[in-house]
Amino acid sequence: MTPSISPWIIFLASIITSNMILANFLGMCSYLSVSTEYKTANGLGMAVTMVLVITSAINWLVYTYVIIPLDLVYLQYIIFIMVIAALVQILEMGMDRFLPDLHAKLGIFLPLITVNCAILGATLFQVIRHYGFIQAVLFGLGSGLGWWLAIDMLAAMREKLAKAKLPPGMSGPAIAFIITGVVAMAFIGFSGIFVIQ
Amino acid sequence: MAENPRAIIKRNLFGENQVLRQILGICSALAVTNTMRNSLVMGIGLSFVTALSSLTLSAMRNIIPHRIRMLVQTLVIAAYVIFLDLLLKAYLPDISKQLGPYVGLIITNCIIMGRAEAYAQQNPPVAAMLDGLFAGLGYTLVLMIISLIREVMGFGSVFGMDINFLKLQTWTIMIMPPAAFFIIGSLIWGLTARAQRKARKEERA
Amino acid sequence: MDFLIVARTVISLALVSGALAVIVSVADKVLNNYGECKLDINDGQKQLTVEGGSSLLSTLAGQKIFIPSACGGKATCGLCKVQVLSGTGAGQVLPTEEPYLTEKEKADSYRLSCQIKVKSDMRLRIPEELFNIREFICELVEIEDMTYDIKRLRLKLPKGDEINFKAGQFVQLYTKPYGKVKEEVFRAYSISSKASEKDHLELLIRLVPDGICTTWVHTALKEGEQVRVSGPYGDFFLRGDCEELIMVAGGSGLAPIRSLVYDVIEKGLPHKMRFFFGANTVKDLYYLEEFTRIEKDHPQFSFIPCVAKPEPEANWQGESGFVTVALENQVDTGEAKEAYLCGSPGMLNACIKILKSKGFKDNTIFYDEF
Repeated sequence: MTPSISPWIIFLASIITSNMILANFLGMCSYLSVSTEYKTANGLGMAVTMVLVITSAINWLVYTYVIIPLDLVYLQYIIFIMVIAALVQILEMGMDRFLPDLHAKLGIFLPLITVNCAILGATLFQVIRHYGFIQAVLFGLGSGLGWWLAIDMLAAMREKLAKAKLPPGMSGPAIAFIITGVVAMAFIGFSGIFVIQ
Repeated sequence: MAENPRAIIKRNLFGENQVLRQILGICSALAVTNTMRNSLVMGIGLSFVTALSSLTLSAMRNIIPHRIRMLVQTLVIAAYVIFLDLLLKAYLPDISKQLGPYVGLIITNCIIMGRAEAYAQQNPPVAAMLDGLFAGLGYTLVLMIISLIREVMGFGSVFGMDINFLKLQTWTIMIMPPAAFFIIGSLIWGLTARAQRKARKEERA
Repeated sequence: MDFLIVARTVISLALVSGALAVIVSVADKVLNNYGECKLDINDGQKQLTVEGGSSLLSTLAGQKIFIPSACGGKATCGLCKVQVLSGTGAGQVLPTEEPYLTEKEKADSYRLSCQIKVKSDMRLRIPEELFNIREFICELVEIEDMTYDIKRLRLKLPKGDEINFKAGQFVQLYTKPYGKVKEEVFRAYSISSKASEKDHLELLIRLVPDGICTTWVHTALKEGEQVRVSGPYGDFFLRGDCEELIMVAGGSGLAPIRSLVYDVIEKGLPHKMRFFFGANTVKDLYYLEEFTRIEKDHPQFSFIPCVAKPEPEANWQGESGFVTVALENQVDTGEAKEAYLCGSPGMLNACIKILKSKGFKDNTIFYDEF
């Protein structure tokens, strides 16, 4: 059942050819609303990556050792989202205790990330594709880095665009989508390098 | 706060359309719009979940303790999504497979949470259900527009039915993600510009 | 539906949520356990040993030291500043604090106490007046309608207790859950009673549409009920380094001015006083007889009520127009005068502009903003 793709290929593919935002459209709401300032976008990207890695790992363990043995597959959505919510809360407490400077920078984003579709999405993708543990973790890490990359690019461009003159109605979400479309188009150029779907 | 049903319907379908004006629920709006059939199923499914969640949460609004509000909302929504997922798996298995994880992702769809938080919390059950239902239908409307463009230009078909007799040249990019971004960006552009023009006219009046 | 499946679903969900709740609580106990922390306040004036883990604001409140806060810890009012001289647990200045701290304040180690957590021993500097602030559970002995939207509350302090405040200061009033409002909120209201009366408090509360606290006062609160207040707070009080006091108030802003006027009279101070009271219509005026009587009994005090748009049938004989017009016409210079203003931001801005044009300096104008 577990596909025999090298975890590193999965890692690279999830950044480039199957980018969370540019190819899978996941995590768009916060991607759009936080990408107006580069510094905050960068912080959010970091936070999302961290949460993705940890939740991918833990949810894999929960799926393999709790959900399947107890035959609760039909409840997987609820269980995954509860685990994600609990994890984010514990993560916030841990960061506050052991990494207070990081917590000062990223703390405000963490509650926002619980309902970010990219987090649940990564978990669901790894379940559908029957990834093994290492594959799942590297998939989570790559997805996070890909998301981070996309939001950094958009934020950098939007900061510059803030001073440019745009047609009426364009500024804000409209131009953000058009830019994202162009970047997505560029990334299609990478397809074929890695095949994981 | 009794809002009359017509106002609720109009608001959710046009004035404050969840996707194009509030910019919510984008993730799934882009992912499933490559065919009209998938869009219709997704849209109706989401409308169903939003309507029932809003109804349930509104009925419970006075007994939910404030601290665990978000948790209860998530659980109620998740329950209805599981229900929807099982329905799809049973009666429309191939569509269910095509939609893949996006059905599960309805749980994190900002539209449902948004309506629960902004409307169902303060309004009676029937109004909340109507509000949820039409927010979902407004979303479905947008999805149908996007998928119409994408399917006709990308596959040369409408709802799976060939329209090659029109001799239209297919445009591959339409099937791919960038097209979705461009189309939705243009739609938002159009509506935002229109809203701004209206606002300016009202200011002068 | 098969009963077994429903049972299994409910039990499994209950178990999973139970397990997660336990894990999160354990994590909370372990990670949030910062142990005991020593707080050294004002270089040894007060030394407290507290449980770490909560915000500085709530930790101090738990020790009966009430730092003023209008927003309840949401970082939207900026009133809860304290100086944190040391205490690594506080960390760097948070983004939520940035809008409320000036560069100088940051250099002087000021922080918003609602945003920092007590994680280790800390050395703090807190203004001494704050030690005076206490909490009182009062009895509402009287509630009277002064106008169609302003009520007067008379609160009696617990037996033997007294409140030492300077005329012009305010207290924080805590609401109780009512109707659809499930949480307790608190709002600030100026004290309108005499400072010499230390076992009672009077407040003037105007109904704000959709205001949580004012709606509670106007609809749910009944005589005989217990009401919690804390105070006194604020730096709106008499300086008196002058010959004449120009006082301006609108609506419920009359409260601190009334307290100030009685204070000057009771202490036998020589200052002349002119009180410009602004109202929209004649219906909005109150305490007219009281202030007219004070004017008669004490020539040092003049009362100038101004009605912006008097109703024709009311036959208003006093000043018409906004209070700013009377201010402009009747005050000549700022020499040997201090101004005390209380009202809406719009009214305050307009009055301050006029006063400055008459020569009032920044340090002779005192105001209390709604």
